[in-house]
Amino acid sequence: MKIKKLMEKARAYLDSQQRDRKEKKKYLKQVLRKLSRYEKKLKAQLHEGPDPHEKSRLEKKLALVHEQRKKGVRQLKKGLD
Amino acid sequence: MIRNILLPTIFGVLAYGFWLSPDFKVIAAGVAIFLFGMLSLEQGFKAFTGGLLEKLLGRTTDRLWKSLSFGIVTTTLMQSSSLVSVITISFLSAGLIPLIAGIGIIFGANLGTTTGAWLVAGFGLKVNIAAYAMPMVVFGVILVFQSSKKLKGLGYVLAGMGFLFLGIHYMKEGFDAFRDNIDLTAYALSGYPGVLLYTLVGLVATVIMQSSHATLVLIITALAAQQITYENALALAIGANLGTTVTAILGSLGANVDGRRLAVAHLLFNLATAVVAIAFVFQLTAAVDTISRWMGIAADDYTLKLAVFHTVFNTIGVVLMLPLIHPLARFLQRHMHPKRRTAAQARYLNSSSSGLADTAIEAVRNETLHLYDNALQIITGGLRLELEDVRSERPLPEVVGNYRKVVPIDIDEQYNLNIKSLFGDIVAYISRSQSTMTPAQVDELFALRTAGKEIVEAIKDTKHLQKNLDHYLGSINPAISREYQNIRIELAAMLRGLENIRKQGGESEAILSLDGLKVDMKTNDKQLIVRLDDLIRKNQISAQMATSLINDSNYAYEVTKNLVKMGEVLFSASTQGVKAAERSLVLEAHEVEALATATPGEIEAK
Repeated sequence: MKIKKLMEKARAYLDSQQRDRKEKKKYLKQVLRKLSRYEKKLKAQLHEGPDPHEKSRLEKKLALVHEQRKKGVRQLKKGLD
Repeated sequence: MIRNILLPTIFGVLAYGFWLSPDFKVIAAGVAIFLFGMLSLEQGFKAFTGGLLEKLLGRTTDRLWKSLSFGIVTTTLMQSSSLVSVITISFLSAGLIPLIAGIGIIFGANLGTTTGAWLVAGFGLKVNIAAYAMPMVVFGVILVFQSSKKLKGLGYVLAGMGFLFLGIHYMKEGFDAFRDNIDLTAYALSGYPGVLLYTLVGLVATVIMQSSHATLVLIITALAAQQITYENALALAIGANLGTTVTAILGSLGANVDGRRLAVAHLLFNLATAVVAIAFVFQLTAAVDTISRWMGIAADDYTLKLAVFHTVFNTIGVVLMLPLIHPLARFLQRHMHPKRRTAAQARYLNSSSSGLADTAIEAVRNETLHLYDNALQIITGGLRLELEDVRSERPLPEVVGNYRKVVPIDIDEQYNLNIKSLFGDIVAYISRSQSTMTPAQVDELFALRTAGKEIVEAIKDTKHLQKNLDHYLGSINPAISREYQNIRIELAAMLRGLENIRKQGGESEAILSLDGLKVDMKTNDKQLIVRLDDLIRKNQISAQMATSLINDSNYAYEVTKNLVKMGEVLFSASTQGVKAAERSLVLEAHEVEALATATPGEIEAK
């Protein structure tokens, strides 16, 4: 009986962890979608042929967003542990 | 002075009354239990709603009808207009809703209180209410002892309702027994003298009990026991409505200007309603008779007719005042001004909001932004720059070039004046607010406190930087002067970048673009090292100058790092879950380093 209770408690604990992970995943995906849209916008601006100064600024921004997205995707793949 | 005399007087009168009549003791105990029930109910709803009320309130600011409905519905559900008022005042103080919305909610709350009369007259007096009260109190108190916050909150709500019912029961019993000994109707007065006198009695009773709801229940139970006449009961109800505004005015004395404006709006609303109700009391009585007949209420069911009257005259008040709500708000804003505040005084931290978790977090966020504004003034001053220039779009070399020699600023003095006590207030408020919060909310407060600490650190780093900056900017050595000028340009660019990101309104992509400022600063640092080698090799600067420059470049990097970290917490306007996701994507030091060392070709390839 005691073991059964313990098992149930363990399952409830794991369930709550699972729920937390799902929740985190949902929000991370939400932010990554925003970053992806932002990345596309920056690429579009780069294609418009800006002056060299603006081009370098946009490229730096793009590199940063790309790095952050990569980091997020890595976290998603690892299962957010 | 008056307060000192008032309490012993009330105690004396009550004690004399208890000695004189045991029935009066039962009625007074009924009122006390009822009031205790209301306190318990408020406590329960605060814990039980878990921020739901605040979220709802945040969405009722765009349309007047929404504010009005919010006031009606929440007051009906909670049977307490004072809790709704407290939340409204705290939201106004935290700068989260405009005055118009606040007034709309208060008007709605006035309508919502009328449901109390219906509940007591229609349900409380018709059934044996004590039979429900006892189990509610028992179950409620057991739940209060539970560790779960929700169960505890539910316990307070249940026990609160139980005590409300029990209070009504004792009032009813007391008046029934009272009737056998004393006939209060002997003191009844008819005509306008009666209306005015009993309005005053209702007002005083409400001021003493601090609850119009309790007065109304007392009136209804007394009316049911035929201890007062129907006509006088109507006047008492008008007085109770007026009395509740005195409570609100007393409560708002310690509040900020918005709280006081709201209390005055409340007073004007109830005063106008009372004047109309008193002037047309006989016409209203006739109208109530007609409405009651139409609703199928018996002609001698005076308690229900009182509920009809209460609803009718409050509805008239809303109909009369609603078209005037915008002029009223303008009038209050024009004639009631905030107290003169220095930059060091807290603007958003209000004791009434410290018990409401989400509002308290928002207040701390706004106050820390205020701290940042003060700090920005000091940091730009420390760099010998004007804040307006940093915020403008003027090219930075031009801005920086204009201020080679400007009035010096004493960072220590400015820190003591505008930062130290304000940050202390924020920390103290955070400590006070934590008790009712969930772990996630406490984490958010902790993050905000850390943001405040980072602001302070940034000021301290600027102070260290300032010493050599002043010394070398005026140096006759053009190389070292140029390098320090570069530090100023880089920091000014970072501050401008921060301000631009802040203006974008807290979207995730804006918050994450703050990392770009760290990359820029790291790149600058690396370029400086290369230049430094060159300058030393060519004997353009001394070894001592080089050491100073390395140290100060490090301080500049620390200023950037602290302010960017602060921005990541403070500028984000997202929900807790999104904020956590944003923070998990912020680049670590080695990732910043990698981006800073990437060649243009590598960057393009990415």
